[in-house]
Amino acid sequence: MAASETTIKLDRVSKSFGEFTAVRELSLDVRAGRVFGLLGPNGAGKTTTIRMIVNITAPDSGAITLFGHKIDPALQDRIGYLPEERGLYRRMRVVDQLRFFAELKNVRGKQVESKIDEWLARVKLSEWKNKRSMELSKGMQQKIQFITTVIHDPDLLILDEPFSGLDPINTELLKEIVLELKRAGKTVIFSTHQMEVAERICDDICLLNRSQKVLDGSLREIKRSFGRNSIAVRCEGGDGVLDDPALVSKLVRHADEAQALLAPGANAQTLLKRLMDSGAVIGKFEMIEPSLNDIFITKVTESA
Amino acid sequence: MTKFLAVVKREYLQRVRAKMFIVTTILLPAAMSFFGLVPIIVINIKTPPVRVAVVDQTGKLYDQLRQALVNDEAEEQTANDNNAGLRGHRGSFVLQEINAQNQSIDQLRDNLNQQLRAREIDGYIILPPDFLDHGEAEFFNNNDLFSQPALQSALSRTVREQRLIEAKVDNKTREGLFRPVDLQAVKIGETGGQERDSGSSFTVVFGVGFVMYLSILLYGQVVLGAVIEEKETRIAEILFSSVRPFTLMMGKLVGVSLLALTQLTIWALAFSAFALYGVNLLASRGVTSFSIPHIPFSHYVYFALFFLLGYFIYSTIYALVGSMVTTAQEGGQLAMPIIVILVVSFYLFFPVSRSPDSTFSFWVSMIPFSAPVAMLVRIVTQTPPFWQIALSLLIGFSSVLVITWIASRVYRVGMLMYGKRASIPEAWRWARQA
Repeated sequence: MAASETTIKLDRVSKSFGEFTAVRELSLDVRAGRVFGLLGPNGAGKTTTIRMIVNITAPDSGAITLFGHKIDPALQDRIGYLPEERGLYRRMRVVDQLRFFAELKNVRGKQVESKIDEWLARVKLSEWKNKRSMELSKGMQQKIQFITTVIHDPDLLILDEPFSGLDPINTELLKEIVLELKRAGKTVIFSTHQMEVAERICDDICLLNRSQKVLDGSLREIKRSFGRNSIAVRCEGGDGVLDDPALVSKLVRHADEAQALLAPGANAQTLLKRLMDSGAVIGKFEMIEPSLNDIFITKVTESA
Repeated sequence: MTKFLAVVKREYLQRVRAKMFIVTTILLPAAMSFFGLVPIIVINIKTPPVRVAVVDQTGKLYDQLRQALVNDEAEEQTANDNNAGLRGHRGSFVLQEINAQNQSIDQLRDNLNQQLRAREIDGYIILPPDFLDHGEAEFFNNNDLFSQPALQSALSRTVREQRLIEAKVDNKTREGLFRPVDLQAVKIGETGGQERDSGSSFTVVFGVGFVMYLSILLYGQVVLGAVIEEKETRIAEILFSSVRPFTLMMGKLVGVSLLALTQLTIWALAFSAFALYGVNLLASRGVTSFSIPHIPFSHYVYFALFFLLGYFIYSTIYALVGSMVTTAQEGGQLAMPIIVILVVSFYLFFPVSRSPDSTFSFWVSMIPFSAPVAMLVRIVTQTPPFWQIALSLLIGFSSVLVITWIASRVYRVGMLMYGKRASIPEAWRWARQA
């Protein structure tokens, strides 16, 4: 693989549907062998961006380069795409279904059969091989859909909300597989609006809002540049202090602790002092990295 | 090509294995033989002969009436049209002459009425002495609905014969008077030579048109369903990331067509077997008036080509409808106009056959929707120049490609719009956009 450092390059890509602009002047670099998170609220333009990458729809302007080439139908075979809108042929047996999707990617013959068995074993569905997909539970169907995206051993994997609706055990299983594929040198584009999930598996992210990029780069660097302005507090009393907008711009209470985002101009020392002065009993006071969720919300509100 | 074949294979195998397909494939020939055979069997169930007593006061008619009824039965057995058996169950009769010499007519009737009540006879006829002049007689019976017409027609013939005999018309003249005429249809061929036309070409064109009509009604819905399938199951987006929409559409069309071909072939074989059995059955009874219609080989090629054209042109329209809608129900409604066009084009059979060389006939045989029937009618009546046939086929099959292409564009954009049904102007915009 690693012929080029960049798997996908978008250069000022725009796409509109009638009056509505879905993607505006978007430029991106997705590096090979990394998990790239395409994040944003609903309707930000994530799905349209992905559809342009997989050549379902063409951009109105700008250029998309895939594996160093201009996008064309032959390159589609190197992509595994799991759309958010996905399904299976209800009356088709699982094995026929997987074979069909492999053939659509130009993979045929004996190797398909062994791949099918391998993957079914991997997701623990071997005994369902000859069942019709309508007999499978929703979670099982989702795992079969996942296999259809990887059966042809693609170099680029594009997963749109892959874990939505999965139970924690299966989520963990698929996440493990994704990370394994990444270690094998595959590039993964991962689209979601669930920040906690993205936070755990993405190396790089791009945040879209209202058709535009608001932020991109490596997750680590983004977090660092955001600074530590978030504080985890566990205390009894002192409510008046935490609710003071001059000190805390945002307060989220969890079961036994609260997360406070410092207001601009305020600092942690002042907050701590005020809390102690108010007679609060402090169990925990820790400066933490901002969560991706916080960054997301801050950025989206800023750009609104 | 691998992808195209993968689509064809899936469409074909999934449908051919479906229970529904197997059931309908077997059911139709079964139903056909059931409805074909059962009436024949039921009608041929032997019922005991109807016992009729005849009081012949004219003294001249009894023997001939008996003769006439026997002939009736013989005729019925050799009749080669299917309706013969249904035209009134004449059954067979056992006649018994009652001598009226020694008894008064009232005594006779009392006697016969008694026998009728005792079911010793099923009915009796009294032919009055002036029957030959007035032709009025009575048939007394126990509510027998079927014998009266047979007896009446036998009596009519008997009386006619007797009247001729009494008018001194000899046997030979009589036969001469009743000899039927023979009207031969003669077709003037292209070369100016005369050919006999038994009307079989027309029958075949009508048959081809009818089978086409049926297959479109049957499989148009299947094409529609095939196109909608991925929308309803939300697979379309995965497919489009792997295969071009046009390849997908063509694959679906071809897959479903192979399915149609499979089913039609099975039905055709069943039908031929059935027909062959029927012909043998009739042949064993001495009926051999069947002949294979005499049709030039080139016409068979045209039948096949125009059948395919008709099938594909309408199938692609169904595909286009399928690409515009989101559910099969919506598709059904939108498909109604197609059936109207289909029916109208089928009825063009009649005006075109009346004047196959008119400007009207020329144009309707060029328009893809009406060409299959119209051009075939022209070919079997006054074969048009070859360039017209070729042009009609060219226009037709190009339209198939263009409509498929439009359908695939509309399909792709429609899928991106998520469950929105397209209006016709929208569909057109989508086709250009994509």
